[in-house]
Amino acid sequence: MARSTPSTRPEVIQSLIDGVDRYNPDNVSILEEYLATQCANKECDAMANLAILKLYQFNAHLTNDQVVNNILVKALTTLPEPDFNLCLYLLNEQMVAEEPVVHLVALQDLIEQARFAEFWRVYEGDDIYKELTSEVVGFEDSIRANIANAVAMTFQSIETENLGSYLHLKGQALSDFVKAQGWSEANGVVSIPVNKDNEAKTTVLTENIKFEQLTKIIGHSNDA
Amino acid sequence: MNYDEEIDIASEVDLVVNAYPVQDDGLDEELLAADQTTQQYQEVLIPEVVKNFIMLFHRSVLENNVYELQQIYEHSFNKLTEKFYLNESWPEPEAISPLVNDDQVFLTLYRELFYRHIYSRLTPTMEHRFHSYENYCDLFNYILNSEGPVALELPNQWLWDIIDEFIYQFQSFCNYRNRIKNKTPEELALLRDNSQIWSCYSVLNVLYSLIQKSRITEQLLVSKNGGDMVEAAGEYGSRPLYKMLGYFSIVGLLRVHCLLGDFTLALKMMENIELNKKQALFARVTACHVTTYYYVGFAYMMMRRYADAIKAFSHILTFINRTKQYHSRSYQHDQINKKGDQMYALLAMCVTLCPTRLDENIHSQLKEKYADQSTKLSKADEAMPIFEELFLFACPKFISPNGPNLDEDPEVLNSMTVFEPVQHYTKIFLAEVRNSILLPTLRSYLKLYTTMGNAKLASFLEVEPEQLRTLLMMAKIRSRQIKWVEGTLLEGEYQGTSDLDFCLREDMIHVSEAKVGRRYGDWFLRNINKFQDILGGLELTSKA
Repeated sequence: MARSTPSTRPEVIQSLIDGVDRYNPDNVSILEEYLATQCANKECDAMANLAILKLYQFNAHLTNDQVVNNILVKALTTLPEPDFNLCLYLLNEQMVAEEPVVHLVALQDLIEQARFAEFWRVYEGDDIYKELTSEVVGFEDSIRANIANAVAMTFQSIETENLGSYLHLKGQALSDFVKAQGWSEANGVVSIPVNKDNEAKTTVLTENIKFEQLTKIIGHSNDA
Repeated sequence: MNYDEEIDIASEVDLVVNAYPVQDDGLDEELLAADQTTQQYQEVLIPEVVKNFIMLFHRSVLENNVYELQQIYEHSFNKLTEKFYLNESWPEPEAISPLVNDDQVFLTLYRELFYRHIYSRLTPTMEHRFHSYENYCDLFNYILNSEGPVALELPNQWLWDIIDEFIYQFQSFCNYRNRIKNKTPEELALLRDNSQIWSCYSVLNVLYSLIQKSRITEQLLVSKNGGDMVEAAGEYGSRPLYKMLGYFSIVGLLRVHCLLGDFTLALKMMENIELNKKQALFARVTACHVTTYYYVGFAYMMMRRYADAIKAFSHILTFINRTKQYHSRSYQHDQINKKGDQMYALLAMCVTLCPTRLDENIHSQLKEKYADQSTKLSKADEAMPIFEELFLFACPKFISPNGPNLDEDPEVLNSMTVFEPVQHYTKIFLAEVRNSILLPTLRSYLKLYTTMGNAKLASFLEVEPEQLRTLLMMAKIRSRQIKWVEGTLLEGEYQGTSDLDFCLREDMIHVSEAKVGRRYGDWFLRNINKFQDILGGLELTSKA
């Protein structure tokens, strides 16, 4: 998966981040608009967003706090990708120690530690989180999709109640979600089909002999 | 010619020269007459052997005698430094100017060495820092903006060192500028009025200009995909000076972006360089080879691509081990060893975060150097201080691109807390590591069982069953990483990186292990070849 180049990246953005134009402060608005598009269309282009932070890093006066916030929220939706921390490394110490970053880092920690039930408790427990994530359309759904992915990697079957707490869904909404994933539920247990991550099969690595290794031997057979 | 001998013979004469006023020979008299008495005092202090050295040096530059220059650069200069300039700077460029007919190009090159020597042996003043920057500007201006390509040729080692030192001094300046506490108001004013000196934009500008002028990107694409190299290289890029400076600038950008905390961009710089290719250009200069892998590995580590980081570190550490006897004589021996030690430290952390079977040699070296730390890294209650210690020792000296705001009132400036990039990066890295601190213990238990109940394992680990479930999910997520398969360094595929895998069926944990089968291929290949050789030998003797 070459995730560094999303298929939705426009040509103009591509050429901008490939060349020296990425350092030109005049281009920050193009990248910021592109971020707004990503936020509205549930897309994410980490490389382009890092280019915004780079421009802010060099030209502190350009920094737009809302943009920084949205980039970080976007990065939350791509965990466990490393994007969130890669963004933090481009912010200065002061920004990392202040709002909104502190709140977002709190969410990051919960997701990174797979404490999903607690994530939702914290997220629902303070209005600030919905405010911070309001410009990123479908934030909750993206997080939920990633949680579902983590569950599907780990479990072959899981108690419905546990799954519900991870996904922050109940009753019909949960049943619908389970169905949409292609999972099935019976007697309070959700079964997840075997995939390459949750099969946990004991394997024996056998060696592969490359053709190049045999060239000398094949050479010999020619001589004969 | 054997220059070393000449130095030895001349060294006895020097003592006399130093002790008494010199009776100038004819040549010097002429030059001095042209340069008047202001220079005379310093002139006297230059030992004869150094004068001879500088004149030979000058001649070699004029003649583009790369072989001689290599001797001068790698050996003679360092020998003379040890003999005369351990605790003081080399003669001022103005003082040697008469010896080289005031050749400005040579003086620029000489200044490069002059300031570099001050940086490495003495403490550079602000004046030194400014002048050295200006000298680099002169040098790059000459190379980039003369009419047509310049005829100068320099040894690859020196070209690499120019780029390397340029970035080092940039980094050094950023840290110097950050420490405002012990600076006088005059110094602060100077810094404020000269904000373009050693600025990020100016440094990036130089590196990108060298890349563009040399058309190195185009050249690399041709060597990868085929095509007309002469056309791709163009008038400038076909000259070794431009080509190598362009190439080294790419590695330079890899480093600069790592120093600035932009690890994605750092690896993106390398997109046209094939790391796995034999005889890649970076391997021509050992220091460049080592630097390349250090920063590639470091960037991978910061992107959580531990498997790729381990691969990069193992590769270069194996190389350093194998070539020990060659570079032990090099003037950069200590530096290479230090980088090696740093990479073992990084490796120790990576292997903890992503358990991997290492090459046997590397493994035993790692144990020799960091046995104690390695054990502690996998213990939840002891790991954090060790992670911090190793990271601080092994990370690059990060920089902040903009210094403190010097327009502030000096009083305010003095009371501001100084932004320490290294501390900042360490904090973020440690926060990330802290999340996975229980994983090695979890792993050691899983290794003992094929199936076990969630509650039972939770009681071993002294956590709640729900906590263990989250721990298992995290372990699962962490065991999958993007790993390079082909293409540019940033590309890769999600892969399992652990030999230990597991799944949960409700509250039952099922553990599986990947085992490595026996390898037969090598044995058979070796013996088939041996057999063929014997057969060939027999046929020959029977014919004879």
